[in-house]
Amino acid sequence: MSTIRHRSAAAFWLAVPAGTWMLAAVVVPTLLIVWVSFWGGRAFSASSPLTFDNYARFFANAAYLRLIGQTFLQAATLMLICGTLGYCIAYFLVCKVRDARWRTALFLAFIIPFWTSTLIRAIAWVPFLGTNGVINQALMATGLTERPIEVFLYSMTGVTMAQVSLYTMLAAGPVVYMLASIPPALREAAMTLKAAPVTVFRRIVFPLTLPGVVIGQVLVFLNVMADFATVATIGGNKFALLGNLVLNFYEGSQLRFAAVAAVLLMGCMLAGVVLALRVVDIRRLGAR
Amino acid sequence: MPEGPMIAQLDLELRGVRKRYGSFLAVDGVSLKVEKGQFVCLLGPSGCGKTTTLRCVAGLEEPDEGDILIGGRQVTGDPPWKRDIAMMFQDFALFPHMSVAKQVGFGLEMLKKPRAEIGKRVAEVLAAFEIAHLAERRPAQLSGGQKQRVALARAMITEPRILLLDEPIGALDYALREAVMLELKALQQRTGISFIWVTHDQNEAFSLGDHVVVMNHARIEQQGPPEDLLSRPRTAFVAGFIQGNNVLRGKAGAAEAGVLPVETADGRFHVPIIGAAPAPGSEVSFSVRAERIEEGENDLPNRIAARCTTVEYFGAFRRHVLSSGSGVTLKWDQFGALPPRLRAGTETTLGWRTEDSVLHA
Amino acid sequence: MHWKTRSRLTGWILGTVTVGFLLYQWLPIFVLGLLSFSGPTGGTTFPMNGVSLHWYRELWDASIMNDFKPPVLRSFLLALACSATTVVLSVTAAQAVRGQFRGHNLFFYLLLLGIMAPGILVGFGFALMMRLLGVDPSWDTTAYITHVSWTLPFGFLTMLAVFNRFDPKLEEAALTLGASRVTAFRRITLPIVLPGVIGAGLFGFSLSYDEYPRSLFTTGADLTLPLAVMAQLDRQLTPELYAIGTTTTLFSFLAIGVFTFAFWTLRRRVQPR
Repeated sequence: MSTIRHRSAAAFWLAVPAGTWMLAAVVVPTLLIVWVSFWGGRAFSASSPLTFDNYARFFANAAYLRLIGQTFLQAATLMLICGTLGYCIAYFLVCKVRDARWRTALFLAFIIPFWTSTLIRAIAWVPFLGTNGVINQALMATGLTERPIEVFLYSMTGVTMAQVSLYTMLAAGPVVYMLASIPPALREAAMTLKAAPVTVFRRIVFPLTLPGVVIGQVLVFLNVMADFATVATIGGNKFALLGNLVLNFYEGSQLRFAAVAAVLLMGCMLAGVVLALRVVDIRRLGAR
Repeated sequence: MPEGPMIAQLDLELRGVRKRYGSFLAVDGVSLKVEKGQFVCLLGPSGCGKTTTLRCVAGLEEPDEGDILIGGRQVTGDPPWKRDIAMMFQDFALFPHMSVAKQVGFGLEMLKKPRAEIGKRVAEVLAAFEIAHLAERRPAQLSGGQKQRVALARAMITEPRILLLDEPIGALDYALREAVMLELKALQQRTGISFIWVTHDQNEAFSLGDHVVVMNHARIEQQGPPEDLLSRPRTAFVAGFIQGNNVLRGKAGAAEAGVLPVETADGRFHVPIIGAAPAPGSEVSFSVRAERIEEGENDLPNRIAARCTTVEYFGAFRRHVLSSGSGVTLKWDQFGALPPRLRAGTETTLGWRTEDSVLHA
Repeated sequence: MHWKTRSRLTGWILGTVTVGFLLYQWLPIFVLGLLSFSGPTGGTTFPMNGVSLHWYRELWDASIMNDFKPPVLRSFLLALACSATTVVLSVTAAQAVRGQFRGHNLFFYLLLLGIMAPGILVGFGFALMMRLLGVDPSWDTTAYITHVSWTLPFGFLTMLAVFNRFDPKLEEAALTLGASRVTAFRRITLPIVLPGVIGAGLFGFSLSYDEYPRSLFTTGADLTLPLAVMAQLDRQLTPELYAIGTTTTLFSFLAIGVFTFAFWTLRRRVQPR
């Protein structure tokens, strides 16, 4: 018994506004992209003939295929870096910081930037990365190099550096949650069963945080795959990932190609999410 | 075999163990000896330090002072995984991601036993605990009683010298507890492994323990065989904590022929002295068991006027709760299937023999 | 090595990684703030060439080309609207899922889709749809719809987590005391889950305020703040951009502060200590 009856009409009708909203703003537009990607002809019209031509022409261009590969590579790099960093930070905050006030303070220092604008945080990297940027100034001041290094601004290295600072939180958050929900008695039980700390971590702690790791990796994957703003800000217009390709085609009024690139992006991301959802049930996260 | 004095081998010895958290003293100078194969119960109210003591033995807490010896060997400073113990946790602490078989074999795996041997031992132990049919289940698919068996099997499989049990049946349904207690006692006697059982339930402690340790406010109040604690509570706390005691407080008079007169608000009572007599005028307390009380007109030396407030029926006996003139709550147990002698509101007199009262330290 | 030494060593290494990352994360934000106070001849990196409020003054006396005041106002109003909509819809949606209506599983995944679907796809698809329907995009219509599709799932998950921890026995107690379902929800459930509602509101506000990809496709000629910032970055990078960045960031901190304060106050009221 609660304030909402099981399987009641009221429950259904309460869900209708949110459901309709999501259908209209997410599902229908997404399906529309798929439809448009098959449009032939030249006019923007629902009566366009359907064809595979757009895909054929897209795949005929080796540069585009390489770009898909680069996008995956970028996502994999970030998953590796953010995943490792995020796990270390999460483990430190939950398991190594004993004082509750310190833990709260560090945790806040960790998550507060996440609540500010991603765009601004990406822009904040610009003064660091240029030829005269803070990093080069520091390198030259300490005598590590004599001439400025040009690998930072307008390069994928710079993009990666900025993305690491933007997305590590996504990898760490779910792990923090899972670590905090492991009852201390489980580690203790393992220790009384003769498991040394490394074994306790390998056999008990890590497997129990695995759902958090997977969710964190999915979040990083999705964000890097779709991130075109950071690439545009820091990479200049010299570099592009799949997301930038969608935007470039769109701005060039090549809507069909934009749709093809978007469908491919969608397909890649969907594959990643489906894979991850087979491993963990996200809905059990809120429950104690 | 060389002849010589028998040295009783101790499985566990605590010497003046002390543990504090900040300004809170959790364990204050606890000393304890556990003989080989003994069933020891640590009994006390929550927060009395019994669980902390157990965790110090396990190595999960490090005492600030004192020594812990397991099997005669100093283990202070050793981590849990280097101690010859196993532990059963209050909520069983089963690993949620491991099957029952994997779980039970975990301890052997940690001891680097060959895989074939682990498989064989796990099968044996699962069969012995009648949980072989659950081997492939996860903890979430088990009932409370099944979880308890798995936790026990997991702890026992490595045949530790000592098994530490932290309220091991507290999470079980009441109806299940009696049977589990009997099984555990039989298991302990069969294996000869020392059990140290932490509980706040005196029925558990007195029916299971060879040796019961009552703790309060981080200290041991009294320890000994259950009969001793029941018949001779040494402190007012122990007497009050154990069911069925009447505790009275007053001022000591001048002792005479091994008997101490005690002046209370409800009159003067006589209590046999144990050890040295308390100084006249000092505050003392003593207790009388409810089943030793006699009701009505008689010529007993200790008598107190009281009014009945409630009558409870326990099957084997009927307990009358009374209130004395000064407001002290008194209990009188009437055995046998007799009709109740009192009802709420009845005024009467209770009496007892001097040798049935116990003076507290 | 002794096990305690090893444990302490692990702690130190992980601590160094954590503090190092925090510096890495905060340094650009601080440098952005610092450089926004550089002198009138200051460039986009060090040296600052003096300390002044020059770039903030530039920001205030905006030229026609880059006047940030209208975009800030638009973003603010849009964020408020999204926050309110998110709160209402996520509470009703979470309450609906508690009722386990037929298809609630599908409904859950539908909302999850809003988080999973990248902004660039949602924005692009919605722009296509509006084009087919012949609707002109605008910040207060089309952008509002796509923003809520982004903020709503976060609010919904927050409410779901809150309801997961909510003890339904409290509602049952109210119902046995003669309250109707609606009254019990209004008088018992809502006050207890109110901190969660505040959290949903914060998600609605801050996610919409900073949203870029969806806005890019669904906002018309009148830009929101992130679009205006990006447009300015495309034209020329000046410390003025740092000034607006610093202001926005400080504003975000303020918003978090206000919401957090409301959250704690409410929670203290519901569960003293």
